[in-house]
Amino acid sequence: MLILAVSASYFRFMVSQDYLVTYEGFCDPYTESCFIYCEDETCTDPFYSTSITRKAAAVFSVCGEDITDCEAADVCTDNETECSVLYCDPILDIDACEMLSLTDLE
Amino acid sequence: MICYLYEAPTYFFFAPDLPELLYYSHIPASVLALLIGFFVFLHARDQLLNKLLLIISVCFSLWTLTSLIAWTNVEANFVAFVWPFFALLSSFIAIFSIYFIHVFLTKEDVSFRLKLGFLALLTPVLLLAHTNLSISGFNITNCDAFGFEGSLYKGYYTLLGYVAMIWIATLLIKHYRKATSELRTQILYMGIGIESFLFLFTTLTFIGTYLATTGVVDDSRIELYGLFGMMIFMVFMAMLIVRFKTFNVTVLAPQALVLALLILVASQFTYVTTATSITLTSVTLVLTALAGLVIIRNVKKEIKQRKEIEQLAQKLKKANKRLKELDQMKSEFVSIASHQLRSPLTSIRGYASMILEGSYGKLPTKAEEVVGKIVESSTFMASSIEDYLNVSRIEAGNMKYELADFNLKDEAEHVADDKRQEAMKKGLLLTFKSDLDRHGIVNADIGKTRQILHNLINNALKYTPRGTIVIFAHDDAKKKKMYIDIIDSGIGMRADEVEDIFGKFERAHNANETNVTGTGLGLFVARKMARHMNGEVTAMSDGPGHGSTFRLEMPLQM
Repeated sequence: MLILAVSASYFRFMVSQDYLVTYEGFCDPYTESCFIYCEDETCTDPFYSTSITRKAAAVFSVCGEDITDCEAADVCTDNETECSVLYCDPILDIDACEMLSLTDLE
Repeated sequence: MICYLYEAPTYFFFAPDLPELLYYSHIPASVLALLIGFFVFLHARDQLLNKLLLIISVCFSLWTLTSLIAWTNVEANFVAFVWPFFALLSSFIAIFSIYFIHVFLTKEDVSFRLKLGFLALLTPVLLLAHTNLSISGFNITNCDAFGFEGSLYKGYYTLLGYVAMIWIATLLIKHYRKATSELRTQILYMGIGIESFLFLFTTLTFIGTYLATTGVVDDSRIELYGLFGMMIFMVFMAMLIVRFKTFNVTVLAPQALVLALLILVASQFTYVTTATSITLTSVTLVLTALAGLVIIRNVKKEIKQRKEIEQLAQKLKKANKRLKELDQMKSEFVSIASHQLRSPLTSIRGYASMILEGSYGKLPTKAEEVVGKIVESSTFMASSIEDYLNVSRIEAGNMKYELADFNLKDEAEHVADDKRQEAMKKGLLLTFKSDLDRHGIVNADIGKTRQILHNLINNALKYTPRGTIVIFAHDDAKKKKMYIDIIDSGIGMRADEVEDIFGKFERAHNANETNVTGTGLGLFVARKMARHMNGEVTAMSDGPGHGSTFRLEMPLQM
């Protein structure tokens, strides 16, 4: 039973990659409500992101092992059923959200 | 799939920016668990208890390995694959701990039914390990699966840990109440060890991961403290091995201490970083190892010598017992043989005396001389046989003493009178003197006392070629003692022989030069008899050629 449990886990995670992965996707704070991440308290160089959840196999098929610099990682394809992009909800995550107006840009 | 925010580890699980306690909590605990687990297993492979301890140690070490992989690896697929191992290994540790304690307490395997029960408890964990109930996904930003762990599944295997704790505590308390004091100490050691381990391990790993899942803390570093529970468990196992030889393994306390010291020093490598610290730790480790080796070697040598001495003492004890048995057999043989000899000898002596006295007519002069020799020899032989019989009786504890009050001075005087004629025949002057403050009454066996005096005077007669023998009776009222001294002007003896002559078959060194026949038993018998009556026989001499004094000392009746 132990061997079966380990084998089944191996097949699921290593071979078929049949599990969800979540990661930070690209977010434009001027058009979208983004999660904001600051490296320090002054927050001079904030990092904006969405939270993407997809099947690991789907991400691997479009980006390979590394999703860094892979634009396709941020977009759900039409035939993907378990793919979602989560934007920051100002009601739930009021301190962690930011959406800039165009005047901020000027 | 790579956790893109983290650097890949070097040497499988060495990565930067990790909690300082990570390696220190994982590596020494695993090494110690594996060392003790394999040590007890390899020393007694057939013992179920040892196998179970090894299984617990291996499960724990695999758990720490999984944990190190989870902390350091950046391959999402691989980390996700090993993530269910936490549940599997934690459950195995809990169930095998119960099994282990059952075997420890009952010294036998558990029933088939109970084994099925254990399997039933493990089945949900095993069957659901690869499903979404275990983990449904992986966060490649944080490189963990805390947010995807199934709470029901996690709750179940955590609960198994607490079930194990309660089950074990119940078993230990139940057996503790019925146990003897030594077994109680063992149960106590085992109880403290395993309960500390299960409590720290289950509670802190759960709290750590729960806080990380709920986002209260960034990671599960609090679980690192839970691993020290295994250290506590193994310390108590080592104490059980050293003190009670549990697991049928003998380990010397210095061996265990040196090993613990080496692990402690070596564990510093898990957090030292500078070249100087690494060098100093290496030097300390080598020196500790060398000193430990010398200590263990010396202790082993001493123990080997002690065992050899114990074995020799055991052999000596056996040989001594055998000698006593042989001596007893010899005494019995002498006793039987002497009894058989005494009867015909009495007839020979009797008839020879009658012939000599002329009961069967006048003898020719030549025949008279020959018959006289027969009487003399048979008398000596009868006396020797009496000595042998006395020795046999004394050694067998069959000598009977009938104690009564009598005047020792009078008895000594009578014996002196009896022996005077014999002394005169040898050309010796035998006199009796007394100087008493009291009446000279002693409580002893009168027959045996007479025999002692006879033996002492006979001894003086034998070894005094010329001169005098004085029998001197005196007392010491303060010491409540009565003394009969037999003072001769005979061959004397050396100071170192004074005690030896009271041994069985012992004669003085210069006795052989006097051409005197003797068995060497007279003084032995005299002293033994005197001591049985709370008295003593001692000897004094100013040296060879200066005569001797033999003293009979008896407690005085006031």
